[in-house]
Amino acid sequence: MTSIVLLVVLLVAVGSVAVLIRPQRASTFEFYLAGRRVGVVTNACAICGDYFSAASFLGVAAAVYASGLDGMWYATGFAAGFVPVLLFIAAPLRRFGEFSIPDFLGRRLESHSVRLTSVAIVQLIILAYLVPQAVASGIIWELFIGRGIGGLSAYATGVLVSTVVIMLMVALGGMRGTTWTQAVQFLLLLAIFVWLAILVLVSGFSYTDELRELSARPLANPVEAGDSWRLEPVTNRLHPGDPAYFGEPGGQYSQLGQFALILSLALGTAGLPHIMNRYFTSPTGTAARMTTVWVVGLAGLFYILAVLLGTAARAVIRDVAADLPWVAELTTGGILRVPEYALLVLGQIFGGRAGLGLIAVGALVAVLSTIAGLLLASAASWGHDIYERYINPRATQRQALWAGRAAVAVVAVVSAAFALGVRPESLTGLFPSIVATMVTWAFVLAGSALTPVFILAIWWRRTTGPGAVAGMITGAVVAVGMSVTGLLLGDSGYGQVLLTPTVVSAPCAAAVTAAVSLATRPPADLDGIWLRMHGTAADRRAVRLARLTVAGFARRGERR
Amino acid sequence: MRRPDGHELSLGSADEHDTPAEVDAAFRTLRRVAVGHIAVFTGVIIAVPLLTAALDWWSQGRLFGGMSPMFAMTACGLYAFFFVICLAAATLSNAVEERMLGGPAREAPQDEEGTLPP
Repeated sequence: MTSIVLLVVLLVAVGSVAVLIRPQRASTFEFYLAGRRVGVVTNACAICGDYFSAASFLGVAAAVYASGLDGMWYATGFAAGFVPVLLFIAAPLRRFGEFSIPDFLGRRLESHSVRLTSVAIVQLIILAYLVPQAVASGIIWELFIGRGIGGLSAYATGVLVSTVVIMLMVALGGMRGTTWTQAVQFLLLLAIFVWLAILVLVSGFSYTDELRELSARPLANPVEAGDSWRLEPVTNRLHPGDPAYFGEPGGQYSQLGQFALILSLALGTAGLPHIMNRYFTSPTGTAARMTTVWVVGLAGLFYILAVLLGTAARAVIRDVAADLPWVAELTTGGILRVPEYALLVLGQIFGGRAGLGLIAVGALVAVLSTIAGLLLASAASWGHDIYERYINPRATQRQALWAGRAAVAVVAVVSAAFALGVRPESLTGLFPSIVATMVTWAFVLAGSALTPVFILAIWWRRTTGPGAVAGMITGAVVAVGMSVTGLLLGDSGYGQVLLTPTVVSAPCAAAVTAAVSLATRPPADLDGIWLRMHGTAADRRAVRLARLTVAGFARRGERR
Repeated sequence: MRRPDGHELSLGSADEHDTPAEVDAAFRTLRRVAVGHIAVFTGVIIAVPLLTAALDWWSQGRLFGGMSPMFAMTACGLYAFFFVICLAAATLSNAVEERMLGGPAREAPQDEEGTLPP
């Protein structure tokens, strides 16, 4: 009952914020870019809301719970991704302006084929990211509400309710409404982590002492053997002859596997359409840069807490498993059989049913805010890059706006249809690992096909349209080919590199882009493009205009 | 200032501009800043897991209670490092742009409220 009440309050609050803060003027500039007036801190919180899906909220703590130190590499890669964004992309991307990644690349390289190729890749990335989020919303509903509406299964109800709510929120609220709801949603996620961490620490949990105790014995996790479960030692991937320990590396990845994962996540962030589109909403390039500094700070705080809670779950659940029958049912030898339940169980131990409900609502919030960003990015790509450019170039603002809303609806329906086609009963035990795995594919595709071209287009004058197209296609083909091979081979040996192949595919994409660019002609007006992308005249103009506006308001106030 | 379709409007006589030579010089300096910082970032990211193979103390030694230097770095230190390197790079890049771009307009006389003379 608590879960249902919290869920209803959440959905009503999300819908209300989006509708109240919806754009007042009907234009695509407002709908896609929130008038380019989103402040640094607000945008940083919104980017975090966009970025932290269920994979971050439940998945990082679960990975630490199951693998100890090696479970932290996901969090490291997610947070590290914003460093290249700040150094190479944020400010020039915003200064060049435009509405989306395909729009930026198309105009920078003055090429229709670049625009169309990047639309295709952006849509693939969005789909790879969106479908697992929709699946996650269904699984969360099934696990914590457990009932369907109107004859539908609980899973289908979860998928449809979340899709409809977010679709309406994005279609009505546009970027402005979505920005504010995502910022609020991130603050809610952070508050839940802070609340749980305080409860854990106040209960007497000592991070360093518990770590010593956890690392004193070899790491062992439950495995299913026929009809029963038993604890089995975790294989050490660094030193196969030795046992793995919670506080030491080797519980999940080989040395090469660690690099491959971190690089895939770090490079992938710069190519994620829903994250990069947020930079177009900053008022200036400098603001976009400072927004990234805030994002890195907030992400660091979020992941430090996630790691602490994953460690606490390993220690606390082991200690109480013998005393609490409902925990004993979920564990073997004091270890959860499904590590993804770690935070939920911790929430119930310290906060009762309300605590469990709060964590479940947090997971749903993480999913919903990510779906909202993805739908908006997809709408910008279809509505602006395809409809306004190719289908109806003379579209009025009203027509373009409705095209964007229609794109939101179509993409939402497609992702819901994919999610409904999945058999949830085979995935429930894997949630949110399945979300993290599919999200990693999106990162791999983004980091292989888009990021190298992005960086070269911004920092190398000789980059050309044909070079970018060749690079994007090479990156995508190599990444998909290696990932599929990795799926067939499993994650042993070089399989870990094949499953996170950016370490190979991104250099391939960059090399092909450079080679083809050297053989073709760059855009004619390179000086103009460079002035716009690396100059600060537009920034200074925006700052001056803001100062004039503030001075005007002050004078008007004095006269009164 | 922008029209509803997103294109820039001019501010007339108060319009700001950069010259290609200024922008090129700033661009080259910013590229050096970015490459320098990404080299440090990459070095640290590679060093954290790699030190395990070179130095047993890194993953098996104890700093506080049961926390090894590697655990402390991965659980907390790396995030502080990301923040510091981002803050340093952003501050330096902003300073470079402020000094190297917007020369003539920046020199223009302004009154106390920051408004330009008519």
